[in-house]
Formats: sequence, C-alpha cells, structure tokens
Amino acid sequence: MELTDADLIARVLVDDDQHAFGELVRRHQSSVRGLLRQLTRTDLALADDLSQETFLRAYKNIRSFRGEARFSTWLYRIAYNCFREDARRRKEFVGIDEDKLQTEQDPQVANPGLRHDLMHALSLLPLRERSAVLLCCQNGLSHDEAARVLDIPLGTVKTNILRGREKLKRTLAAWGPN
Amino acid sequence: MNEMSEEDQLDRQLREAVPYIDDDGFTARVLQQLPAPRRARRPLRGAILLPSAIIASFLAYILSDGGRFLVVAIARLATLPTLWLLALAFGSGILVMAGGLVAAVSKTGELRS
Repeated sequence: MELTDADLIARVLVDDDQHAFGELVRRHQSSVRGLLRQLTRTDLALADDLSQETFLRAYKNIRSFRGEARFSTWLYRIAYNCFREDARRRKEFVGIDEDKLQTEQDPQVANPGLRHDLMHALSLLPLRERSAVLLCCQNGLSHDEAARVLDIPLGTVKTNILRGREKLKRTLAAWGPN
Repeated sequence: MNEMSEEDQLDRQLREAVPYIDDDGFTARVLQQLPAPRRARRPLRGAILLPSAIIASFLAYILSDGGRFLVVAIARLATLPTLWLLALAFGSGILVMAGGLVAAVSKTGELRS
C-alpha cells in the first residue's frame, strides 16, 4: 500500500526520516519545478536552484506544516516566496505590459505549435496574473488556496485569473476551437 | 455555458502544455543538501532524562519516609468493606477506559487530518 503524504510527513516529524522526505520530493518535484519554470520564464537553471531551495526550506520548516492545507499548496507557497525573494534580489520583479503582449502575438508566423504559443503567451502575462493562472488553471488549486499561496485577497486572485484568461484567449484566438 | 467550456478548454490546454518533469537526479541533489538527521541527539536526551528520573525517585523515597505513605494507604484499603472495594475497582476501570477512548478518538482525528 502506498503511503500518503500525511504518513510520510509523520515519519519525517517523528523519526527525522530523510528517505520519507525523499519520497515527498520525488512526488512533488515535477509540479514545483514546472511552476518555477513558468514563473522564471523558462530559465531552467534558476528554476531548479529555486526548487532545491524550496524543498530545503520545506524540510527545515516541516514542523510548521499543520496539515490545514494540502502539502502541495504549502510547497507552492514556499516556492513562490523563494521566487519572489530571488526576484527582489535581482531587481527583476516586474511584469510585461499589455502592449508587449499585443505586439508579440502572432502564433501562426512565429511559433510552430499551440503548446509553444500557450507557454509563450503565459510567459508574457504580468507576474500577478501569470501566478494566479498557473496555480489555479494549471495546477488545480482553488481560488482560496491560491490566495493563501500568493498572500493576496481572494477577490484579487479571481480578477487576475479573469484578466489572465482573457489575454490568453485573445492570444490563442488564431488557433480557433480544438 | 459556452464561456464555461472555453475556460475548461483553456485549463485543459494549460495542463497538457506542461509535461511531467523527470526527476533526473533532482531528489538526490536535494537529499545531499539536507542537514544531518536529528537522530544523533536522542542518546543525549536519554542520558539527561534517565538520571533525572532516578534522582527524582530517590528524593521522593527519602522525603516520604521510605515510602511509608504507601503502607498506610494499603492498610486503609484493607479495612474497607468488600462492597466499597468492588465499587472502587469498577470506578477505576471505567475511568481508565474513558481515558483510553478519549485518547483513541483524538488520535484518529489527528491521523485523518
């Protein structure tokens, strides 16, 4: 029988079982690295460094995980904080404005596939909208969970998702319905 | 309705656009950077707790005049009527069972959450 996240966390807490923590890393590494790759605009090396930092912080602070939220939601929050702190250090904590999104959308000419266009359009969204869309639409978090991860009001999350979706739809309009 | 299905379609496209990322040694790199397990501190905890417990027991024995209060309590119990003794045993059993039940229920709640 496969152990649940809660079982593995209990083993880390009680026995400081690093193998159990390794299993948690294996389970969640793809989604955390995927999120950070999107947030860092596909800078793979930076995304992986931040992912490692995320899991190290998770290990050091696992006693503060109270089980009120899903473990993945807690990890996303740490990942987002790591990204934000790094961006502040690098002074790159800025979004791309709508004009740039408008001028760069020409999927049929510039890009070979829908997936590529979608990722490109996503990377052009302002950070606040990109983060909300990534967490809710791509990673399946509820609006409430996303609000906790991003540490912003629930209404702001909903607005950001609405705006982000609209921009993505406009960008992908050239592809038509699938 | 149509707008809803458009949103669903966009969400589906977003999910499909991000493939599963192979571990490719990532977990091993994370584990290498973890601090040493805290297990090494356990013998130290035992080394402190055990002598403390022995000293505390010794002090309690000395201060209670060689545990004389126990002899007195047993002597008092022996003089109680049988019915009283039965009631006392039954009450103690009920109390212990209630404590066990409360502990089990709270532990189940913790495990579920």
